[in-house]
This record gives sequence, structure tokens and C-alpha cells, in this order.
Amino acid sequence: MPILRTTVSLLAAATLAVTVAACAPSKKQSNSNASGNDATLTIASTTDVVNLNPLLGNSRTDDWVTDLMYPRLLTINADGSKQPYLAKEWGYTNGGMTGYFVLRSDFKWSDGTPVTAKDVAYTLNTIKTQNPKGGVVNGFMTNMVKATAVSDTRVEISMKRPDSILVPEVGFWTVIVPAEQFGQHNPVDQFTNSSNWLSAGPYKLTSIVKGQSYTLTRVTPYPMAPGGTPTVSKVVYKIYPDVNTEILALEKGDVDVIANALPPAQVAVLQKQSGITLEKVPGLGFTHMTYNMKRKPLDNVLVRQALAHAVDYNAIRNVAVQGQAISANSSPITPSLAKYADPSWKEYTYDPTLSKQLLQQAGVHNLKLNMIYSMQDPVIAAWATIVKDDAAKAGITINLQGMDRNTYLAKTTSGDYDIYAGSFAIMDEPVSNMALQYLPDGAINYSQVNDPKLTSLIEQAQGTTDQSKIKSLVQQAATYVRDNVIDNIMYVQNLYVAHSSKWTNFTIKPSELLSIVDPQSLANVKKSG
Amino acid sequence: MPPLAAFILKRLGRAVLTMWFAITVTFLLLRLLPGDPAVAVASTNMDAGMRHQLLKEYGLTQPLFTQYVKYLDQLLHGNLGQSFTQSQPVSSVLMARLPWTLLLTGSALVLTVLVGVPLGVIAATHAGAAMDRLVQTAGVVGQSLFVPSVGIFLLFFLGLRLKLLPIGGAYDENAYGAGWYLSVLQHLALPCLSLVLVSLGSYVLTMRATLIDSLGEEYCLLARSKGVSERTVVWRHALRNALLPTTTLLGLQLGFLVGGAVLTETIFAYPGVGRAIYEAVTQLDYPVLQGSFVLLAGTVVLANMLTDLAYGLLDARVRTA
Amino acid sequence: MTATAEITSVTAEPTADDPSAAAQTWDEFRRNPLGLIPLAVLAALALIAVFAPLLAHYPGGYGSAVLQPPSAAHWFGTDNLGRDIFAEVVYGTRVSMLVAVCSSALAIALGVLLGVLGAYFRRIDNVIGTVVDLCLSLPVLPLTILVAALAGPSLRTIILIIAFFSWPEVARVVRSQALAVVNLPYVDAARVIGGRHSWILRRHLLPAVAPVIVVSIVLTASRAVLSEAGLAFLGLGDPNSWSWGRVLYEAQQSGAMSSAWWTTLFPSLAILLLVVAATLIAIAYNDARNPRTRQRV
Repeated sequence: MPILRTTVSLLAAATLAVTVAACAPSKKQSNSNASGNDATLTIASTTDVVNLNPLLGNSRTDDWVTDLMYPRLLTINADGSKQPYLAKEWGYTNGGMTGYFVLRSDFKWSDGTPVTAKDVAYTLNTIKTQNPKGGVVNGFMTNMVKATAVSDTRVEISMKRPDSILVPEVGFWTVIVPAEQFGQHNPVDQFTNSSNWLSAGPYKLTSIVKGQSYTLTRVTPYPMAPGGTPTVSKVVYKIYPDVNTEILALEKGDVDVIANALPPAQVAVLQKQSGITLEKVPGLGFTHMTYNMKRKPLDNVLVRQALAHAVDYNAIRNVAVQGQAISANSSPITPSLAKYADPSWKEYTYDPTLSKQLLQQAGVHNLKLNMIYSMQDPVIAAWATIVKDDAAKAGITINLQGMDRNTYLAKTTSGDYDIYAGSFAIMDEPVSNMALQYLPDGAINYSQVNDPKLTSLIEQAQGTTDQSKIKSLVQQAATYVRDNVIDNIMYVQNLYVAHSSKWTNFTIKPSELLSIVDPQSLANVKKSG
Repeated sequence: MPPLAAFILKRLGRAVLTMWFAITVTFLLLRLLPGDPAVAVASTNMDAGMRHQLLKEYGLTQPLFTQYVKYLDQLLHGNLGQSFTQSQPVSSVLMARLPWTLLLTGSALVLTVLVGVPLGVIAATHAGAAMDRLVQTAGVVGQSLFVPSVGIFLLFFLGLRLKLLPIGGAYDENAYGAGWYLSVLQHLALPCLSLVLVSLGSYVLTMRATLIDSLGEEYCLLARSKGVSERTVVWRHALRNALLPTTTLLGLQLGFLVGGAVLTETIFAYPGVGRAIYEAVTQLDYPVLQGSFVLLAGTVVLANMLTDLAYGLLDARVRTA
Repeated sequence: MTATAEITSVTAEPTADDPSAAAQTWDEFRRNPLGLIPLAVLAALALIAVFAPLLAHYPGGYGSAVLQPPSAAHWFGTDNLGRDIFAEVVYGTRVSMLVAVCSSALAIALGVLLGVLGAYFRRIDNVIGTVVDLCLSLPVLPLTILVAALAGPSLRTIILIIAFFSWPEVARVVRSQALAVVNLPYVDAARVIGGRHSWILRRHLLPAVAPVIVVSIVLTASRAVLSEAGLAFLGLGDPNSWSWGRVLYEAQQSGAMSSAWWTTLFPSLAILLLVVAATLIAIAYNDARNPRTRQRV
């Protein structure tokens, strides 16, 4: 019967498709290590892994996964201070012309070979000479000449001139890779690192299902876990492109942790839920707007001041960020940096009338500007409309241009914008940060500023190691930045992450990069019940 | 030339033309619309010389026509190119996602047919009555639903509140052996249901309309006057002819579903090709985009060929035309 | 995929010279509650769109009552920035209907033009027919996403994109209807007599194709609403104007969909209402003019 035939052939075709799909990677029995509990920790993220080569820059989830395999020289505490990790000592010798790291000897790659100074030297030199695509570390290496493995546990960096920021910043931001494995690929950009992973612990990738999950199993020895053994046998990163589905999954118990920062509006909601614990991740960075000083009339300080007074900072903090942010007092040295912050700094007032006056003084009428921001940042996207509406009250028209990340990055680097809105996750070393932000050729000079006075202040701070002098100089520089609206620092956001209450003993580190999914944290978590 | 061979040859020619068209349109759109492919390949704060070198390697510095010819040549050798952002061949990027898309759309289509045919028959045989109106309205409502809202709703009630089904993903990483297949089915249920709800509507409506027409045709009147039971008239005679345009609709829907399930895959965290395309768009990963359109065009062509074949099986008139 | 496909099964009638056919169709249509009610709903939505400022203040800025459930003060609740969702949905009616009308108008214009020309001038019919088929086989949603992402989010882009992907369907349907008419004896007769092409097209073809156009407009417009919502949901919509898709997008971005049901429900219902009403009208209209599905039979 023809109908039957059609139905059968349709069903056959469909069944074929189904069977083909079902023959996807078959499961193997999970083999857990001898001791320790067999628990699996499932972590949800909204962004998929793009590439697993840690020397290349890319998505958040890339970093979370690779951080579990490749060690940093230094880690950072919630108060912003650098702490030992792979390196147990670090500093300068030779009149500040040589930087050094002294390494621990108990980190091992998962093939049994020790992590040595050779790996560190290889990593640093490769970043310096090849400047891998998207990496940020190269920006700190202006004054570095070369890294040398003086012994198995000592790395020395020869420098062009004394630079107080090189060692601590390179130490924290670099992730050390195995020289043997990565060294076989030249240029290193081409190395996809998609199999045969070597990990220095606490976990190592064992399987990948693109777009869905990344499974890591524990690796021993890992010096930072009790008895050298990470407490969890398996860590699985699961990808949920939609944050709503992600939250539902946590509420149900399909996942144990949400690694990405929660949307501010959901913090209060989830706090009320039993079975879910929220952790506050202190903000060490800031969110800001910069005005492109290479474009008229933004080169006029009066205009920039007018713009600064046309923003209702309180409303933004209370509504868009739901009160989960503190004022930065309009200074690039935020209150989080207790050592350097000056309590006399005050935030720009929200005063549209003043803005109008300033604009008149500057002789500017009908000011029209465009503002770029990344659509991947929902909090900024949310307050962008508030900024636009506030500016309208001062007679300023702002055209919002939210864009995809790559275009946003491109426009940012080429300086193709009037107003830039964005945020930095960790801005804990004022000298280093200011050098990158306010020196004319700084890698993140989004204000497009070239001010001799500011440059001089920063360069002086770079060239000395006297802490009290540094403090005085950076405070002067910050005051200058604030008064001249070279940068409009709006707030420091405290992020919240959520996890199932069944899991405890997370270590909280600053910024979304580390938060509670930092390797030391995940190697020590415990499941109760 | 024997009619069957001519039929097949004509279909093949059309298939090739369709694929060429899809590839060219995509290629042109990517190159002519604003949006700089170079930003995905090489960071703009890279040394200018190095950047130019990288762009050259990816062939982005050559004139448009040269790039086009090279790309076609590459395609003919079965090479879909290298992803800009993932440093992997496009084919491996897409092939990793394809099985899930096939599973999702395949099962959705099967269910659509299994449920849609009886519903269409009910509506057509009760044309104008309350039952018909009900099915019609349900069908219209179905195809007017906004998928993400439906998805979240299903996840919230069936996943979270009733804890019947898992929330997101294609399977449970901890399952193995027979349990793995079960977990695949469990994870498939909700996204499949969403797709079925939306595609069922148009399928039922088309089936109903064509059945009504067929039932009014002379051959049905003849059959009835010969004393054939109404049921046989419907199921054996009218339905067979009604299946013709509905099969074409299925073919169209397959092509639509493979690429169009983006919203479903996003909400349900289902790792299919649709979502991969969306991510490639936001990352400006041109080779993956181009490759995926080749894939989609290929699927549509294949679906059309299959439906034409089914058509040919069903309707002898087509073969001899 | 909508019910446009079913239109092809309806035979053509030379309604051009038959003035009472229109009256008959309307008579039949009136009898069908599934036609009248949706028509009333559509009219209501159009009124809401036109008189939006009388119904609510333009949603803007921010409020302190963030993500509040529906209450006396806020009938549809508030969104993640404390804005009134009722206002957003009301003003969204304007934008969504504007997008629907404009994109379908463009699609219809192009589709009718090419469909009729192709049917009438057999020489170019092959070319047009092939182009239409090729365009129909393009993967619509991925291409829509691609173009929207590259061209940048704006209402104008969205309208153009949706129109660009809707016209082949219209052309196909119009062409097959026109083809049926073109072959009728009186059209041939008109040509033989030496009637000018434009006269024949205007007097005979267009009226014959008119019913199909009516249905196409309605269906294309309703599909446009869903397309716009889908694009906005993916972040490719216009962030400067309020459309139903944007309300859903804001709900999605702020995680409100997982906890604040009102942020999702009301815009989704609005979309559902418009699309269902439009589609039911199209079906009822189709049934009304097709003798086979008329009640009397």
C-alpha cells in the first residue's frame, strides 16, 4: 500500500538519522582514582570553549578550564595581594635590572615530568616574541628582554630598565605551559591543544563534547590539595547558552555551580531559595566610560566634565546593578585598593544643569556622540539606556551602539568611537594599570590620552621601587585623571555566584576569572550528603 | 532518454544549482556586508606586519573574485576550510554538532507526521464542524508560538517543578551503557516537543486543506458511489493524494529545521548546528559560517531529492511527465 | 513554515468580472466566528498601536520597583529596570505592527511584481521561477541572523531583511495563481485583440491574483512578527525601539525568564494574539471564497 510505503520510507529515513546520531561517542566506565570521594562537580557556564591553548586569549570558559591544568606563578587574594602559587619567591635583583621567580619543586605534569623553570622560560619568551593572538600578557613585557632558566627552580628575566610592574603582573597573568609539548608547534598560535593534555593539576581534560560539556578528572600530585589529592574525582563544565535555563538547572540540581556572575536582578531571587548558596566575589576592577580625547570636542576638558555630570551614578548602581556595586569615587584607584585609595576623592555629582552650563562655556551646542559597548555585557547594556536618557536632560544626544565582541574589540583598539563603555576585572596594581591606560602607547589607552604631565607622573612611578614615593605619585596621577575626566570610573561591581548548598569549602578569589572556580578552590571543595 | 533517467538528471541539475546558489549568496553576503572578517582572525593590536601575514595566510587580502574561485576550488576538493576562532577544520567543528541536529530534527519530523496525519484526517472529515474548528485553531496556535517562551515554560514545569525531565544538554555525562541511551532520550524529549508543537500546526493545516480538496475530487465521488466505505475512501484514496503536497512541506520543513532550530537549541542548551551557526556569526568566524551554509544547502537539497523520490513513488504521473 | 502552502490548492476563479463574488465572500466570511473574532482582535490591536500614547507613558528611564509582579500600579508588572511592562507591550504593538506591515508590504510588492510578470511573460518565467525556487531553498533563519549581525541592529535593517526573505514565498504563490489565470481563454482573447500588456495585467491578472495577495499579506505580516521577535531575542534587534521582541530580550538577558513569569508571558501572548488572529483571518477568508469549503456545501 503506497501510504504505508511512504510512511515506512519516511520512518526509515528518520530512524537512520536517529541511529547515526545515537552512535555518537559511546560512554566508557568512569575510572576514579584510588582514594578520595567519587563525587562529580558539575559547573554551568553560558559561553562555550573556543580554544584550549591558554596562550591565546578568548572566552571565559577557556580560562576556567585551562586554569585547572596550567599553573600560574602567582595567585591573588581577595584583597588584591599577590600570593605564591607555582613561584614561592619573586622579586628583583641587580639594581632592578633582573627579575626572578623561585619555583616550588613539587608541581608535576601529568606525564610524571616535573614543572621546571624551563617551562616558565619557554612560556615567557614565547609570549614576548610571538605575541599570540588575543593574549594580554605581552602588554606587561615592554621592558623585558629575555627569560632564562638559571636552574630547575629559578627563572631570571633580563630587563631593559627597572620596571616595578613586570614581575608581579607577568607572574599573575601568565599561565605556564609544558615547554616540550607546546614547543613543538611554531607558531604556537597554530597549536589547538585539543587532545593529549598535560596537566599540572588539579584536574585534566579527558573528554570534550563541543558545545555541551568538558570533562576533567583529577590529577595527582597536586600540592595545593589535602594530601596532594584533589577532593573531587571529576569536574564537568556544562554549557548553557541561556542564563535562564542555567538558573533553572541549578535550582533543579542538574548542575552544582554556576560559574558566570549572576545577573544582578536574580541575586535577590536566588538568595531566597533554599538549597542554593550565593557567594560574593569582591570586585577588584571597575566599570567605566572613556571619552575619546582625540576627537573634537571631547578634547576640551569642559565638555568631558559636562558629560561626567550628566550621569546619574546612584541610579545606575541601584537599579541596573541592583545595589551590588560601590562608587569608585570617580578615581581609577578604587576603594578596593585600600593601600592606595585616597578618601578625599569624591564622585562627580549628577547635575544636568551644571552640564548645560559647562557646555555653554565651552561653546558647544547640540552635542551628538556615539557610545560603543559589548552586547555580551548585559549590565552595561542595561545602564547604557540610563546614560542616554540622563544625557538627554543636559541636551546631549547619545547614540547607543551595542555590538558583538569582536567588532567591539576592533573598534576599541582602532579608537573608532566617541564614548567607550566597558569594564576591567582586575585592576590591583595602580602603577601597572595606569601605565597601560594613560600612557600614550598604553595597550588599553581607551581615552586616547596623551598628556605630558600625566605621562611624567606615571613614568616616575614606574621607575622607582620606593613604596611611599609610588603611593604619592599614583595618587597624584589618579587625582589628575579624575579632575580632568580622562577616565570616568563609575563603580566597582561585586559579583555574585551561586552553588548548591550541598557543596561547601569553596575558596573565594576576586573577579569572575577566579571566583569560586579557581583551581585551589575546586581542589578543596566538599560535598555533604 | 527514458523518463526516469531524465527525471533524475533534472533533479541532480537542480540540486547542484541550489547548492551553488546558497554558497555564492553566503560568500557575497559575508564579504559585502559591513563587518570585518579580519577582526576574528587577527587581533588589531598585533604588529601590522604580522597581521598582514596572517590575513594573507587566510586569503583575506586578495580580490573578491580570486577569493571566490579559490573557495569553490577548495570546496570541490572536499575542504571546508579552517575555523578562524577555533583553529580547527570547519568540517570537524560542524560534524561534532551534526548528529545532534539530525537526532532532534529527525525525531521532530517523525512525530509531526505520526501525530499530524490523524489530526489532519479528523479535521478534514469533520470539515466545518466543531472538531474541525478545534483542530484548526490548535494548529494555528501551534505555529504562532514563540519558541523560547514555550521552551522556558516546559523547562520550568516539566523540568523544575515536576522534576520529570532534565534541564538542558544532550545527555548526562555520568551515564554509560544502556543508561546513556535513556539519558539521550530524556534530554531529547523537551526540545523535540517544542519543535513538534511549532511544526505540527502547519503540517496539520496543509494536510487538512489538501484532504478536503481530494475528498471533493471525482475519484472519491466515484469510489463512494461504488459503495466503498468512507474510511477506505479517506485513508486509501484521498490521503494518498493529500500526502503529495504535505510531503513537499516536510521536505521544506527539514531544511528549515536544520538551520532554524537556533532558538530551540539555545534555550535547551542542545549542542546542534543551529547554535553553532549563531555563535559563528557573533564571532565573525567566516569559514564556519560558509561551511555551515554549504551543509544546510546540502541538507535542503538532499531533503528535496528525498521528497521528490517519495513524490515519484506516490504519483506515477510525475515520473512520466 | 505556515499555512501559505495550502493556498496553492485553491483553484482560480475569474472574480474580476464578477462583482457579486466579493459580496458572496464577505457574506460567507461573516458567518464564520473563526473569522470575525480574529478580525475584531486585529482591529483592536491596530487601535492600540495608533492610540498608544493615550494608553500608557512611553517606557523609558528606570524605576525603583524592579521585577515586580502584576499589581494595580503595574498591570503587567515591571521589568529588570523597573519599567512598566504594560507600557512596553502597548508601545511594542506599534513597533511590531510597523515591522510587520512594512516588511510584508515590501515583500508583497516585490513578490507580486515578479510572480505576475513571470506568469504573463513566459520568456522570463523560467528565470524568475528558478530564482524563486533557489531563494526558497536558502536557509532563512541562519541567513537572517547573519545579515542582521553584520548589518547592525536597526529597525530599517530588520524590515529589509524580513522582506528580503519573505518575497520568494509570495512570488511562488502569486505566480501559480497567475499561471492558472493566464491560460484562461479570455486572457488569450485579450492578447489576440491586441490589448496592451499593462491593461491586461491590471484588468484581469491582478484582480484574479488579489485574493492570494490578501492572504499573503496577512500571513507574511504575521510571520514577520515572529521573525522580529526571534532576532531581537538573539540580541540582533533594535535596542533603541520597543518591540515585543525587545521586551523578551531584556527578560532573557536579565535572567528574569527563570523567575519573573510576567516578563515573558505578556509579550508572548501579544505575539500569539496577533499571529493567530492574522492566520485565522487568512484561513477564514480562504474558506469563504472557496466554494468547496463554504458552509452550505
